[in-house]
Amino acid sequence: MIGLKGCLNVIDNSGALLVECVNVLKQKVNNGWGSVGDEIVCVVKQARPISEATQASATAVKVRRGDVRRAVIVRTKKPVRRPDGRFVRFDDNAAVLLNNKREMLGTRIGGVVSADLRMKGWTKIVSLAPKVV
Amino acid sequence: MKLEIDSFSGYRIYPAKGKLFVRGDSKIFRFACSKNSSLFLQRKNPRKIAWTQVYRRMHKKGITEEVAKKRSRRVVKHQRGIVGADLAAIAAKRNQTAAIRSQQRLAAIQKAKSEKKEKEAKKVRPSTRAPAVTAPKISKQQMKGGKGGR
Repeated sequence: MIGLKGCLNVIDNSGALLVECVNVLKQKVNNGWGSVGDEIVCVVKQARPISEATQASATAVKVRRGDVRRAVIVRTKKPVRRPDGRFVRFDDNAAVLLNNKREMLGTRIGGVVSADLRMKGWTKIVSLAPKVV
Repeated sequence: MKLEIDSFSGYRIYPAKGKLFVRGDSKIFRFACSKNSSLFLQRKNPRKIAWTQVYRRMHKKGITEEVAKKRSRRVVKHQRGIVGADLAAIAAKRNQTAAIRSQQRLAAIQKAKSEKKEKEAKKVRPSTRAPAVTAPKISKQQMKGGKGGR
């Protein structure tokens, strides 16, 4: 249940560390709660410092503090119900940054992601994740 | 349908029951009911909670039946015949006395010796034949007709 002002950890290597949700992009309602697999608009609150050397390389950190980006939620503390009736709950809220075309900004993912992403169509993220629960 | 077991109490979790909790270090914990999950989050030690499987195993409660069953499983070794030698042949060979064995050994030695002698006789005979006539040796260079040696 991520809504306005909700903070999420960023688990890819795009350079951001913490993002704050500004808007939840859902088909019908724009205010509301975002869950696993939902796209949100967010502001980068904390990012990894960019040095000149890393900027030149291909795996450069791409975002700065204060950037407004899109992201997809991959873990929530609020339990999510699976079709077989189980509830899955993670220990934190986490997201992966995207660009406007729903493509990932980073190239690697560090950490667990929820398997509900597969059902919502984020197969690229699921395939990159080291562990899917 | 796989029956999971509860990470706190050791009970079985049937489908559509309970919760799955993924901790920050990606370790997975399954709970059958809110009682177990609540105690886990209060960081209680299941080894001290009397109704959990962990406690019961530690204090050896209700285990006597399992232990009694385990005793009776001594493996008995049966002697079996193989394709080349059936059971009778194996038994016969094993039960030969030392005298017979030494006799067999002597016989085998005699046989080997006589065979060896024959072989040596055969070898000597062909070498007394005249060596085959070979053509006069011409060196390769002469055949090729190279330059008159400088």
